[in-house]
Amino acid sequence: MTPEFILGCIILIIGVIAAGFPRPMTYLGRLISLEIPGFGLLLIMLAYDEMLALLTFIGVTAISTFVLVRAIERKEAAE
Amino acid sequence: MDVAYPVGLVVVAAAIIIGFTALVREKDDLHRILLTDLAEILALVLIALVATDLAEALILPGLVVGISELMAVSEVYIAKEGLRAPTGPPFRIEVMNSAPGILALILVAYGIVLSGFTGGVIAAVGAVFYFMCRGHTEQFELIETVSGYAWAFWIGAFFIFMFLPGYWFFGVMIAGGAILLKVMAKMSLVGTMRGGGPDV
Repeated sequence: MTPEFILGCIILIIGVIAAGFPRPMTYLGRLISLEIPGFGLLLIMLAYDEMLALLTFIGVTAISTFVLVRAIERKEAAE
Repeated sequence: MDVAYPVGLVVVAAAIIIGFTALVREKDDLHRILLTDLAEILALVLIALVATDLAEALILPGLVVGISELMAVSEVYIAKEGLRAPTGPPFRIEVMNSAPGILALILVAYGIVLSGFTGGVIAAVGAVFYFMCRGHTEQFELIETVSGYAWAFWIGAFFIFMFLPGYWFFGVMIAGGAILLKVMAKMSLVGTMRGGGPDV
């Protein structure tokens, strides 16, 4: 039970609540909230020295954010 | 370390219950796609708790499947709803003119140092950012050709492992470099998804 692991678990739970039930129910708000559980996952990976998985997750998250923003901006332009 | 695994499992179980409750109660399709991303993160935590090299070996394909699934689902959603690219002045901020060169250079250089799949993704993020900010006029046939040759080299490296095990280091270097090129070439195509031209 390293400090990174405990902090990661706490941030994960907070982040899942924040992303599952965002207060202003907007697409962008939920997308930003999704970064919080991602950070919890990063801390848990850090606790277990999973360096390759950590770096790949950072890279893939940047690309997936790009893909989601593309869908969101089209949806909001249509409304 | 013995206590960590059960504690982590309990935390993930609670998080999965919360996350899927939100998914079931959600009616909007795009919100559901965003929650799918959340479910993917929770699955990765579950794998990360295994805490061995096996976890790392399982997380990498999990990430690949996750990103390709997300791209496919968002494309299907855009096609189904008949959404079009927003009209009007494109989004421009000052940093999009000054940053791409140096940031892409740093990310690509670091990706080459890392090599392998991880390096490919890191370098691809740099390429995506560059294409997104500067526009793109490249021939995609060239990227496809490079990607194809890289894949052939990757397979060749596996034959070296099988038939000439003594040259394993040579094989590792070829496989690492080839998969770097392959992943970077494929992923950098994502950066061109917003449409063509330098005024994107």
